[in-house]
Amino acid sequence: MVILREGICPGATAQLIQALKEQNVKTVVNLVSADIEDLAQKCSISYKTLVAVRRVLLAQYSPFPSNGADLYEELLGSTAILSTGSQSLDKLLDSGLYTGELTEFVGAPGSGKTQVCLSLAVNIACELKQKVLYIDSRGGLSSSRLLQLIQSQVDSMEEQSEALQRIEVVRVFEVHCLLDVLQDLRASSARQATGAHSSVKAVVVDSATAVLSPVLGGHQVEGISLMMQLARELKTLARELGIAVIPTRISVEFDITSCGTLGSRTAPSQPSTGDRGNT
Amino acid sequence: MQRDLGSFPLPPALRAKLIACGFQSAEDVTSMRATELSKEVGISNEEALEVLQIVRRKSSGEESQLSVGLPSFRKCTALELLEEEHAQGSIITFSSALDEILGGGVSVAKITEICGAPGVGKTQLSIQLVVDAQIPECFGGLGGESVYIDTEGSFIVDRVAEVAQAAVRHCHLIAESGRDEAQQEAVKEFSISSILSRIYYFRCHDYVELLAQAHLLGDFLAEHRKVRIVVIDSIAFPFRHHLEDLSLRTRLLNGLAQQLIAMANEHRVAVVLTNQMTTRFGEAQSSLMPALGESWGHTPTTRLILRWEGKLSHLVFATSNHQSRLQLHPPTHASVRGQMTRMGDDVVHWTLIQMVWGGNQTWQARGLLWIHYQARGWIWIAVGPGLAVGSVNPVGLEN
Repeated sequence: MVILREGICPGATAQLIQALKEQNVKTVVNLVSADIEDLAQKCSISYKTLVAVRRVLLAQYSPFPSNGADLYEELLGSTAILSTGSQSLDKLLDSGLYTGELTEFVGAPGSGKTQVCLSLAVNIACELKQKVLYIDSRGGLSSSRLLQLIQSQVDSMEEQSEALQRIEVVRVFEVHCLLDVLQDLRASSARQATGAHSSVKAVVVDSATAVLSPVLGGHQVEGISLMMQLARELKTLARELGIAVIPTRISVEFDITSCGTLGSRTAPSQPSTGDRGNT
Repeated sequence: MQRDLGSFPLPPALRAKLIACGFQSAEDVTSMRATELSKEVGISNEEALEVLQIVRRKSSGEESQLSVGLPSFRKCTALELLEEEHAQGSIITFSSALDEILGGGVSVAKITEICGAPGVGKTQLSIQLVVDAQIPECFGGLGGESVYIDTEGSFIVDRVAEVAQAAVRHCHLIAESGRDEAQQEAVKEFSISSILSRIYYFRCHDYVELLAQAHLLGDFLAEHRKVRIVVIDSIAFPFRHHLEDLSLRTRLLNGLAQQLIAMANEHRVAVVLTNQMTTRFGEAQSSLMPALGESWGHTPTTRLILRWEGKLSHLVFATSNHQSRLQLHPPTHASVRGQMTRMGDDVVHWTLIQMVWGGNQTWQARGLLWIHYQARGWIWIAVGPGLAVGSVNPVGLEN
């Protein structure tokens, strides 16, 4: 819902906006769905002006459809598959983690989710030599453990420290901070769109439920909304830049650690083609 | 960058009003002034200012080129993190096997949980840790202070004094055998009174007090920067009693967990929690597992589960009379670890209730206490709410 303001498009003068406001047409949606003839009469503005303004607004604010063939071409061109480093896991995931999608790891306490995430991050940093953003919300990340995993893959000290430098770590313990981090990532990737080789390829969120579970349930109505915000943020991130993980609703049995990979292109208004992760 | 208003920490009523008036994203709001906003939405000037502050603070952080100034999160590479981890030490437990399992000791900036059946030694281990955190740096310790949050009342000062004495003696021996001057200097200041004076003790009687204490702990740690360990003994007790609503319990526990790990990370303290055991009934058998549920299981970074393996700890206790008072002499440091022996075949099963510890060595049992004694020593059976089943061998009397 975009609010009508002066200068929102050529022809939207202050007078026009004021007149529309008096008729209770405050947003673009209201204008587009209103009866123009009726409105023109009530506001004493010319029918032509209103139609012109409406056309411009529609052109500016509506999404563009694209056909399936284009979509497929785009997908083939932009999706990369990141190997997880474990052959059996790769086989399970159909050759690896797909960029542009969310992949979620769920398990009981102590089943190894953090270890899988760590080894994934190490694999992407060492083998594929790409940057990884690791968002830690439970304090389970230990750099010495990362070093151990790296040392099993590469031998020279220089390569090990390079690999360690490719893994960026952020520690957040609260859901609004997590949203801030994701927003910041989007902003910085947009700024670095030209220098693509230094952007992040994978985002690991370990774990999303840790930040969400205090706000879900009981009489708190914003918990679900925050969860959906987070889900949407992660999916948009995945689509536009890469992947993140989805937080699922916690039942007592499950915990979620998320892991994801990042794509390399911006595709702002493409509909999602059916994610591999599920809510 | 279109950032939805729902993702900002605004008060819900304000947010509802903003959305009802058509404001969806941050940009819609930041382009207005406070007076305009308050007029359009129908809120007071102060509220409008508050909204603008919150939204502008977050979005201006995105537009600036540096992310260093943002207070909410800090990005660093794993290499920098590794250097930090090497710089901070860990708290030894004086049991080399345990230290090896833990990778050097209880790690700082992480949550460690100690679970076990009643009487297995969780409180003893926590007392050992609050003393060990104060060992001076030249002896391999952290030289810090300690916080002990007690919810069960099991913190007995005489016992702490005994543990402190053993630690001081240990350090003296090292200092005397070595030639290190720094060690000899440090050991002069390391005494029982200095150790006891650096343990900050808090007593919480129910979960509300515990949550309040956790809230205040952040400020406390900011003032006392030398604190290196926070022990909560036990975290299970206040949440297992008088809290019927299980979903509320899960929420509170998860919130508490996030607070603790945030605190551990920010102030560089080790958080140690003590948990109880509960019984899970399976198809054919039952098994003991840590209490507070599976969702709590994800919280601690490290979990130590202590179990009885048929050998029993060496407890020495005596009664002064056959009534409800039981005078207990806690075991000395050496006997807990060294002499776990079976004293013959007099295995007796007993039912334990939640013991309410007194402030000194006298331990009082809730409810009726029956005392029987056999040829080799004393055993006791207590009756009350809450049952746990275990077995103990009576041990010899020492008067």
